[in-house]
Amino acid sequence: MRSSIRRLVTVAVAIAGVVALAGFAWTSTPTSRGKATKVNLTYFTFSAAPDHLKDLQNIINGFERAHPNIHINVQTASYNDYFTKLQTQIESEQAPDSFELNYENFVTYAAAGKLLNLSKIAKGDRSFRASIYYPRAYKVFQLRGRQYGLPETFSVVLLFYNKDLFRQAGVPLPKKTWKWKDELAAAKRLTNSAKGVFGDFQPIQFFEFYKVLAQNGGTFFNAKKTRATFDSPKGIAALNWLLSKTAQGVMPSKTQMGGLDDTAMFKAGKLAMWHNGIWQFAGLKDAPFSWDVTVEPGNVRKAHHFFANAVVASAKTKHKREAWAWLRYFSSSSNAVKTRVKSSWELPAVRNPSLFKPYLAERPPQNRAAVFQALSNIVTPPVIKQEQQLQDIVGKWLDKAVAGQVSAAQALHSAAAEVNDLLKNE
Amino acid sequence: MSESSAAAALAASQYREGAGTLIGRALRRLVVYALLLLGAAVMLFPFLWMVSTSLKQDFALFVTPPKLIPSPVETHNYTRVGELMPIWRILFNSVFVAALSTALAVFTSAMAAYAFARLRFPGRDALFFVYLATLMVPFQVTIVPLFIEMKHLGFVNSYPGLILPTIASAFGTFLLRQQFLTLPRELEEAAFMDGAGHWTVFTRIIVPLGAPALATFGIFAFMASWNSFLWPLVIINSQNLMTLPLGLANLHGQYTTQWNLVMAGTTISVVPILVVYLLAQKYIVRGFVFSGIKG
Repeated sequence: MRSSIRRLVTVAVAIAGVVALAGFAWTSTPTSRGKATKVNLTYFTFSAAPDHLKDLQNIINGFERAHPNIHINVQTASYNDYFTKLQTQIESEQAPDSFELNYENFVTYAAAGKLLNLSKIAKGDRSFRASIYYPRAYKVFQLRGRQYGLPETFSVVLLFYNKDLFRQAGVPLPKKTWKWKDELAAAKRLTNSAKGVFGDFQPIQFFEFYKVLAQNGGTFFNAKKTRATFDSPKGIAALNWLLSKTAQGVMPSKTQMGGLDDTAMFKAGKLAMWHNGIWQFAGLKDAPFSWDVTVEPGNVRKAHHFFANAVVASAKTKHKREAWAWLRYFSSSSNAVKTRVKSSWELPAVRNPSLFKPYLAERPPQNRAAVFQALSNIVTPPVIKQEQQLQDIVGKWLDKAVAGQVSAAQALHSAAAEVNDLLKNE
Repeated sequence: MSESSAAAALAASQYREGAGTLIGRALRRLVVYALLLLGAAVMLFPFLWMVSTSLKQDFALFVTPPKLIPSPVETHNYTRVGELMPIWRILFNSVFVAALSTALAVFTSAMAAYAFARLRFPGRDALFFVYLATLMVPFQVTIVPLFIEMKHLGFVNSYPGLILPTIASAFGTFLLRQQFLTLPRELEEAAFMDGAGHWTVFTRIIVPLGAPALATFGIFAFMASWNSFLWPLVIINSQNLMTLPLGLANLHGQYTTQWNLVMAGTTISVVPILVVYLLAQKYIVRGFVFSGIKG
């Protein structure tokens, strides 16, 4: 016993020495390599892992062939952890040279001065044409007239439907001209409590609310973004529309879902209609039932979500030119666009429709054209600098309305009052 | 826990009633084992469900009613995890980092505990309490300064960057100091009389006598390192240096998660900790009893 413990201690001491040495070895390597003229550019991403790391590498290989003096170092994190890491890196002055931001988080970072202003570099780059991008996607990544990001991808939300359930219930399939009342009428006929089938599902949260608000002709803020306007009668009617689905029994309540989420229920064939994003296509490829999509029903007008990711460069990067070249290549080169379309790695935000032919030809779903029809009337999420707080406030009051603790009107008035306070600090 | 204590109470009451016949004893044993089996089933079910999910196809995940035995059995999830990340390298990193940081943490904590328990120097107790007070500072608060420190040391994205911040443990020092205080001083005094120095007393007397406490703390340190997520997330950039929790988190997508893949990865990650547990079971149970803290 005694000798074995002594051996243990000796081993621990030896190991400590090795670690110390290894540490010094680590620190000394970069300096000896520093002579090379190659530029190491870091790119931090949340959208590549787990399924598209190889596709990302393909795009990088193409870029490095075209720019032999640049090497891209990839860092990945899952979306949920991405911003924790990004913030730590930025606070520690170790921001990655280039990284990814979704539109909702973009304003927070741009307004805080953490992003490189790309307008000047773009002007100096004679081969650059902003018109290559889908115009709306390009424009949303501007702040105070300056371009801070190049649009990388976009997604929209559609009405998914289970064709088999429609056929069994003898209900005609959804049409793109549908309005809310058509959706509700169909949902009632499709709901079959004996089989545990519900006619419809639409999440009741921030992102759905701002959209149905727009579908009902309402606005989220006043034009100057100094006051919340989402608690107008139009807003209250919009929230009541969402709540009425559960109240009328065509959409499952949390209790009725019994711990399953809506994705699981649609995949299990328990939902006839489902409002969700085109990112679900891949996961539904092998569904044991037939399904399709169409644009979402509107009310006063049509309105569709527009989710977009951009690639941006850090304001502190030492390699502005190289970062610009990479952002351009990654967001719009034909290699990048083709790789993405081929592997269904979201949709590149470029305008040339011929590039999307392989995407449109793929099945299921049959009606992929709906993805582009949705683009003709999109609404972007309401964003302010304190975006997270905004989403938290609205989400909190929507939850209370869903739980039946307050009426739709009370929930929205209370949320608006809190948001108005928030806007004073913008 | 409650089942077994209930069983013990039952057994005791039966004993008092004098039902000591052979049949009575067999019956008693039957009841005890039935209750223990029930407890085991409750504890094991989540693990079984994890393994079952990891062997299911995507569309078999959410069928109602749920099925425990997957059919068909899908081993593809495991190969897919292997394709998506260098799982063996990540497993090695986890084992390597956990083993090394445990060894170092036990070593530094034991030495510090010895100093706090046995050496006399001005301000010792004050220093000890300041050291203890650091337990109150949440890691989230120190993460940015620590990161900056690692940056200046050149340890970002490296093994030393992963390991160094974990090798000094206030909790371990506290745990071991309390244990060392209970050891009889006479043994050391005898050793000092024979001309031993502090090093000899530490390695030949304190460490062997405190071995159970060292093992207990070692297990805590190992589990903490094994489960650690936030620090590896921040300090590690390349896939080849990731530890398991980090690798597993990368299996979650922005909008959707393939649970069968996540469960396959989790199953792989649970195996080593199971092995450690089986080897050190005795100490782990003692550790929980000893410290009153569950992992």
